[in-house]
Amino acid sequence: MCEVLLDVQHLTHYFKINSKIKIRAVDDLSFQIRRGEIFGLVGESGCGKSTAAYCLMNIYRPFSGKILYRGIDICDPKAYRRNKKMLQTSRQMIFQDSASSLNGRMKVAEIIAEPMEIHHIRPPRGSLRREAEFQLHYVGMEASYLDRYPSQLSGGMRQRVAIARALTMEPALLIADEPVASLDVSIQAQILNLFKHLQSEHGFSILFIAHDLSVVKYLCDRVGVMYRGRLVETAPSGELFENPLHPYTKALLSAIPCPDPRRERHRVWQEYDPALFEWPGEMVEISPDHLVRKGEEKIEN
Amino acid sequence: MKIKIFNREICVCALLATNSICAKSSAEMGKTVRGRIWLYYGRKIFNFLVSMLFLSVAVFFVARLAPGDPLRSYYGDRVEKMSPEERERAEERLGLKEPVLTQYIRWLEHALQGDFGISYKYKRNVSEVIGARLGNTLMLGGISLALILILAPGLGIWCAWHEDKWQDRLVCRAGTVLSCIPEFWLSLVLVFIFAVSLRWLPGSGACSPGREDDISDRIQHLILPLAVAVTNHLWYYAYMIRNRILEEARAEYVLLARSKGLSKRTVFFRHCLRNVLPVYLGLMAISVPHILGGTYIVEMVFSYPGIGTLAYESVQYQDYNMLMLLSMFSGILVMTCSAISRTINAWIDPGMKNTENVLDGR
Amino acid sequence: MESLLEIRDLSVSFDTSQGELKALRNVNLSLYPGEVLALVGESGCGKSVLCKTIMKLLPENARIKNGRILAAGKDITDYREKEMERLRGRLFSMVFQNPMTVLNPAVSVGEQIGEAVRVRYPKMKREEVLKRVLELMDLTGIPEAEKRCKMYPCHFSGGMRQRSVMAIALACDPGILLADEPTTALDVTVQAQILDLLLMIQKKLKTATLLVSHDLSVVARVADRIAVMYAGKIIETGTSEDIFYDPRHPYTRGLLRSLPFFAEKGEELYTIPGMPPSLTRLPRGDAFACRNEYALAIDYEKEPPMFRISDTHYAATWLLDPRAPSMENISLAWPDMLSGNRPEGGGENSV
Repeated sequence: MCEVLLDVQHLTHYFKINSKIKIRAVDDLSFQIRRGEIFGLVGESGCGKSTAAYCLMNIYRPFSGKILYRGIDICDPKAYRRNKKMLQTSRQMIFQDSASSLNGRMKVAEIIAEPMEIHHIRPPRGSLRREAEFQLHYVGMEASYLDRYPSQLSGGMRQRVAIARALTMEPALLIADEPVASLDVSIQAQILNLFKHLQSEHGFSILFIAHDLSVVKYLCDRVGVMYRGRLVETAPSGELFENPLHPYTKALLSAIPCPDPRRERHRVWQEYDPALFEWPGEMVEISPDHLVRKGEEKIEN
Repeated sequence: MKIKIFNREICVCALLATNSICAKSSAEMGKTVRGRIWLYYGRKIFNFLVSMLFLSVAVFFVARLAPGDPLRSYYGDRVEKMSPEERERAEERLGLKEPVLTQYIRWLEHALQGDFGISYKYKRNVSEVIGARLGNTLMLGGISLALILILAPGLGIWCAWHEDKWQDRLVCRAGTVLSCIPEFWLSLVLVFIFAVSLRWLPGSGACSPGREDDISDRIQHLILPLAVAVTNHLWYYAYMIRNRILEEARAEYVLLARSKGLSKRTVFFRHCLRNVLPVYLGLMAISVPHILGGTYIVEMVFSYPGIGTLAYESVQYQDYNMLMLLSMFSGILVMTCSAISRTINAWIDPGMKNTENVLDGR
Repeated sequence: MESLLEIRDLSVSFDTSQGELKALRNVNLSLYPGEVLALVGESGCGKSVLCKTIMKLLPENARIKNGRILAAGKDITDYREKEMERLRGRLFSMVFQNPMTVLNPAVSVGEQIGEAVRVRYPKMKREEVLKRVLELMDLTGIPEAEKRCKMYPCHFSGGMRQRSVMAIALACDPGILLADEPTTALDVTVQAQILDLLLMIQKKLKTATLLVSHDLSVVARVADRIAVMYAGKIIETGTSEDIFYDPRHPYTRGLLRSLPFFAEKGEELYTIPGMPPSLTRLPRGDAFACRNEYALAIDYEKEPPMFRISDTHYAATWLLDPRAPSMENISLAWPDMLSGNRPEGGGENSV
């Protein structure tokens, strides 16, 4: 359980807008994901969550820092090339907008079987189609959907197809970039259950990116909170919800709407003041596994 | 014509290549604002010169590789009666005996001093020949360009406003059919109807012999070529504008604008058109070479004495010097137009203005 | 109380290649002055169509099959485009879901707000319009209004854009504000701010608001009354308290229970089984029957009418029929998550 699968060390990535302006998308990001763990990464849009995920998937090349996956530095081109097949098959990603991340001109069966075709893997269940059918069944859809196009499916269905596609490679790490953000509440619950269920059955690790803390609370073992490209707090999810230390985490927590009108009407939301959140200090371990970026001010514990 | 298209591709390749070279060399410079502006224009000009160099090399060598006999354009049919010695002497006189590289360097040397050599066919200075015909082409090209520039948005807007009503459908069908008719065929039909059968309009040339200064005569000669050039390109651009406007009209901000209480007409003209027209200007700038290239063919069919006919002849008769100057000419035109279009696009995109605000925008 | 907006038996259909798509089926709704009515349902249940029908912004393949729309006492069902233009912006205006796409990217924000001001006061002078624009930006909480009104939408963050859209919507002091998922595209923290802004404006200007959302927890803070929609029909209406503390329709219960807020760690989230039906091929009887764990035989035969539970609370399910099995049994399946959380003495504030 405690074996580290992914170790991100001081990851930094800039976007160059023009010669004058650089945007610091990810700044000195360090965290670890253990084997069989669901790690949540939370923050507002534009805080660099997706950029970090793209770096982990070798889509962006980070500006500096190290990403060790099973001890292999994936940012090093040589090491990457040597382990290319393993890296490409054992890390899979699911995107937020399934309408645009699935090719609209491919049938569901083709979409699901494509990774196997690319990597020349012999389908364990005979043909590619049988394999696609199995995976589709696995995520709770009937075989009749195999010959449909993504545009004929609803948002929740498409997200299931995206998950099935990722599962064909039997990944060790699944990166899910806001997979439920664009779904309805009732469908969101189905997809979250599916994630939980799959994880307990396969035992892979998930990096789950979200902006909604209530989702993360339900699903994740540990949570990292990001603000403007930096990690400000990481903690086991129970601990984070009971004892948030960083003001940004507190603001995020207080913003979760609660389905109770009487309590909601009387509640005063915590002031959302960006000036409070910029803590320049280092990450300090407060209690086991609970790290927080420490500022000049003292943290009342 | 093929060679012209080829030229354009070379231009693009050259631009790409030089950009990457320049990016490295100038990274350290440009600390001050003034310095940066100088650097910007310096880079642009450097890009331009390098592209021209690439273009001239490519055209020069490709033209030499093409089969044919340049002596034929100089001496005409006399070539066939020449003895081998005479031939050799003639080639030496025209500088065709040396290795191609030496020929090129000599051409470049002369060209840099403003001397582009003589035309084999006309036996006069190339620039002189072109200068004499430039006016004709500018007249035909300029007027057809202006007509398209004015008519295309008008037609496009009209169609978009009447979207899917009979007016729009009629124009769409007719336009598609018209733009599918090949230029030369349309020209021949028009000549047959108006010049041969009805005898209303002259069918070829730029003016009747002996009436060079008569403007009404010149206009009469222009009508048929203009009609062909405009009908061929008009629908292409009008359709593009129509679709862009309709795309804008489907955008969500139209809903918001209408929910404000603005009328459909106001939304259409103040919001949709406003977003489309600047883009159209940029597009038109880049399409100038396209439209002018089209007039080249029209010129040939109507044997209109312009640059198009010259370009065709120069390829046909291996008139190297003429071909070089015309290629340079088109190269400059293409690059200037694309520079203008890029400037327009940068200028109209609000996202490009004060980019600093992006950072504190939240 | 006289209602500001009344919808009576409204049905709207779209003509599609797959046949008639019944987007709204016999919708009845009234909106009273100064209240916030929340319309909740899954995507595709017809919430947005209802808003666009009221504004008459539907695409051309849509038609009102029957029913009436009464706004401020006048029947506007058959109003033509010209007459609607006079009402839009003044009587009702709309806030849209995605602030990224509803602002014209090539027009500065100040100008877009100014345009809305001019709709009402066409002869207003330039300076006065600008003054009003700055006032509106101030009202909707856009800081440094003078600097920002010259900026373009691409320089604004999502929250700021939504505030600008609100400013546009409020430019002519509308009596009715239709907010179509105003917070769905925004972050949680920004969502809280926009909801507060909505509440503040509603208190200040006394605008009647129709708030559309797919998330029940979002509307808890602002809504006075809630209407739950499913497959083009309103299946339950009531005050916030009615809906949150005493939901009667199995669909409303399902929506509430599936919120991850209630889930304990390690336990499965509740989900409503199945999918919403396709609106082109609606099943016979109750559209929710096939997803309903407690469906009765009659659910597959006949559509349930609206049953009255109290003066404010109505629900359309056969379970409320006196002949149906007693509700007591069924209520057991509804865990006491909410009743346990209920704060003491909150009842006095109920509407």
